Amino acid sequence: MNAFYAGMAEIFEIAETDITPDLDLASHTWDSLAIVSTIALIDECFNQLVGGKALAECATIADIEALIRIDAAKVA
Amino acid sequence: MGMARIEAIASHFPDAVLDNAALAKLYPDWPASKILEKTGIASRHISAPGETSADLAEQAARKMFAAGVDPASIDYLLFCTQTPDHVLPTTACVLQEKLGLRTDIGALDFNLGCSGFVYGLSLAKGLIETGQAKRVLLLTADTYSKLIHPKDKSVRTLFGDGAAATLIAECDATEPQIGPFVFGTDGSGAQNLVVPSGGYRNPRDAASAVEQTDASGNVRSADNLYMNGPAIMAFTLREVPAAIARLSDVTGRRLNDYDVVAFHQANGFMLERLRAKLGIEPSRFALRLESCGNTVSSTIPIALEPLVGQETKRRALLVGFGVGYSWAACEAVLPSKGDL
Repeated sequence: MNAFYAGMAEIFEIAETDITPDLDLASHTWDSLAIVSTIALIDECFNQLVGGKALAECATIADIEALIRIDAAKVA
Repeated sequence: MGMARIEAIASHFPDAVLDNAALAKLYPDWPASKILEKTGIASRHISAPGETSADLAEQAARKMFAAGVDPASIDYLLFCTQTPDHVLPTTACVLQEKLGLRTDIGALDFNLGCSGFVYGLSLAKGLIETGQAKRVLLLTADTYSKLIHPKDKSVRTLFGDGAAATLIAECDATEPQIGPFVFGTDGSGAQNLVVPSGGYRNPRDAASAVEQTDASGNVRSADNLYMNGPAIMAFTLREVPAAIARLSDVTGRRLNDYDVVAFHQANGFMLERLRAKLGIEPSRFALRLESCGNTVSSTIPIALEPLVGQETKRRALLVGFGVGYSWAACEAVLPSKGDL
């Protein structure tokens, strides 16, 4: 998850060490641009396309990670 | 009958410039440097009130004529726009008169956005290589700024107004100079890049003009352009690589076999993600959007303009994708000065 966390830190413009599973997305700028960037990041890190609507409903980093795993399970 | 070939390209932009410093004043969370970093765009041109797509296309064509293309040689006019002068008549007919083209020529509009240039090449090739025309003037122009709410940063930071004129003409080459093509259409994405009202499905009225603010703080009404950025990003990352793979199956060429790879210039972030995902060498990757933004169907010819009629011939891969959803990819040879 290191590249993913580094990418999320870049999107939120915060330190990578501040990216934790329980990070509250709403306390940062979890807007359309951040979601677009996260779709691209997940594609880059995991070669998966995650839907924007599902991402918008995520509250924490752990929620995003769960989405990736769910999508990975679907792909598998 | 010979082969169809791109022989000349000229672009035109309206005078007014909207730069990131001006946008940053409207969007306090987005300083100018962040807009440039996220979009790859420093400024865009904006049409004046009353200045239409046809006006921009006319100027692009005049620039091409001034560079030596004889308007009397044009025997077919194709005009790609989503912001026509009128519901009817066909803007291409108006442009025939404005440009002083012959009256014994064909002229038609077609409504496509960011995929439009590649479709225009396909139509022109079909006309020329079936003997219906010899010299096709393909005009692309849009004034999306007239559809964008000033407080919608999701689209106002990206789109600029502009036009391009491309001459596709018969040549005596024995190998195809345009094509092969692959196409894609998926209307299930129609609502993700849309002006909801203004046609006959949803006519404009007082209700359609009511402004709303979305979760990201962008303001728009149903009369304005709406883009679902996340959906468009997912569509692009899914379909562009797939289209390129389909084309590669036909041509046997890989991406780094091309001298130039020119994608629709949607925005810098998307282009860089596609470039990295597909492993395209930066030196082959056409980029021309920093000073004009996303000009819809004109982005690819604007990116190719400096490469036509130069010292060396180049083989290019072109991919247009966007509103519809509609997409297409093709090969095109960009002739050298000596070829023309």
